[in-house]
Amino acid sequence: METKPQETKSFSLPLGPIHVALEEPMYFKLELEGERVKHVDITSGHVHRGMELLATKRNFFQNVVLTERVCSLCSNSHPLTYCLAVENLAGIKVSPKAQALRVLAEEIKRTASHLFNVAILAHIIGYKSLFMHVMEVREIMQDVKETVYGNRMDLAANCIGGVKYSVNLELIEFIEKSLARTEKHIKEIVDIYAGDKMILTRTKNVGRISAEDVAKYGLVGPVARGSNVQIDTRKDAPYLIYGQLDFDMITETGCDVHSRAMVRLRETLESIKIIKQILRNIPEGELSTLLPHIPAGEAMARSEAPRGELFYYVRTDGTDMPLRLKWRVPSYMNWDALEVMMKDCEVADVSLIVNSIDPCVSCTER
Amino acid sequence: MFKFLKVLARNILQGPATEAFPLQPAPTPERFRGRITINPDLCVGCGICKHVCSGDAIRIIPNEEKTGYHYTVWYNSCCLCGSCRYYCPTKAISMTNNWHNSHKQEDKFKMAEHHFIPYLKCDGCGAPIRLLPPHLATRIYAHSPVDIEKIIRLCPSCRQIATAERQGELNESNPE
Repeated sequence: METKPQETKSFSLPLGPIHVALEEPMYFKLELEGERVKHVDITSGHVHRGMELLATKRNFFQNVVLTERVCSLCSNSHPLTYCLAVENLAGIKVSPKAQALRVLAEEIKRTASHLFNVAILAHIIGYKSLFMHVMEVREIMQDVKETVYGNRMDLAANCIGGVKYSVNLELIEFIEKSLARTEKHIKEIVDIYAGDKMILTRTKNVGRISAEDVAKYGLVGPVARGSNVQIDTRKDAPYLIYGQLDFDMITETGCDVHSRAMVRLRETLESIKIIKQILRNIPEGELSTLLPHIPAGEAMARSEAPRGELFYYVRTDGTDMPLRLKWRVPSYMNWDALEVMMKDCEVADVSLIVNSIDPCVSCTER
Repeated sequence: MFKFLKVLARNILQGPATEAFPLQPAPTPERFRGRITINPDLCVGCGICKHVCSGDAIRIIPNEEKTGYHYTVWYNSCCLCGSCRYYCPTKAISMTNNWHNSHKQEDKFKMAEHHFIPYLKCDGCGAPIRLLPPHLATRIYAHSPVDIEKIIRLCPSCRQIATAERQGELNESNPE
């Protein structure tokens, strides 16, 4: 019997804007040929809240809180980078103790954020029990945040000129205990993600992006590092006390969804290494400095948020409100590359690829 | 797959990881940033809390007779950032670890803490003032031989005069 070559029909499929991968709105118009994606059109702007304008209506203190609410998963990176920009502008020197405590908050947030993303990966491929397990491990870090900072997401750790919190011996002991538990679990999870057949079949060679395309699209963070591109603001332009800390830049060579997940998982172990170093040696000193008058001028600052390089620009006119506050978030570059990653992928992999760039829609659209 | 089965078996043996709230109490850490509370005795009405409040939850309004001011904080606007607590110079504001903020729609305007904070009269000129909190005064005048009890009841300008007079007396007793 002769089999006729089947005619593949091309059609367009709307996907989103509700709950494509994470519970954040993003609208895709996919041009399909059969099961294969041929072209992607991304529409964004569903959660635009006009925060950059709001920032110019609020004083420097209120903006620390406003920037903390740009996004929940990188809610410490935003106020930190904003404070760094204002401190650069006014020439404020932050004490070593405050710098160490800032790094502590950053790395605790990074661990929780990365664990959340790899958990969602398991959720999307339908591996619900693994999803629940990783979320439960992340819960240990959430408890640390709640106990040390007083909230599960918004730490309120930063203020202009330093930090608002300190840790006592009892809390250091608590964090160390929690870290030991998390580390044991994460090592196990790394093994599972590296070797589980179900995960490998769904994520290997899916959503590939080459190192050349990474450079072309200017990708940052774990997405770039998953394609073996060495880029990490903590290493390239050390801020705070990152220059004195011992940690490795994690890269993977697979260029696919799996590599990006492995980068995130292995990075949590590096974060734990950093937290341990800080807890062992918190310098003595003031938590925050007295604030000088914030002069007219402009300044910028950048830091490594869980999703990549975060950039803040501030311009002032000598009053207590900024004339302009602008931030560029890592997801802005990363989601543009989705058209490369989704080229010729199957429809079922679309949400998996979207999740692999760990998109932060509320950051990008603010 | 087998690696995960091991984890799964362990998790089943461990039992539920969640807390049975509301059937059982949910443990809340001591540092949890919950509802804010004000100690009216320490408030001097400087208004820095209102200045740093990003939710516009704090209102400070003098009464008509100008004998004091109404201090109101509305929980529904408060975003629990703790800035007011951090910047309050007299530490009059603190945060409880009470997170039970759910309420009926008709009760929404009752979700507030309100205090009427009266002014005192300055012992010197009778101007309306707030008492300088004694614990702050002991720090400010730690190395100064003044009668703290007296000086905290003076307005800033009367305090200046008192300091000048005291200095004058000192100069008279030690002419060189």
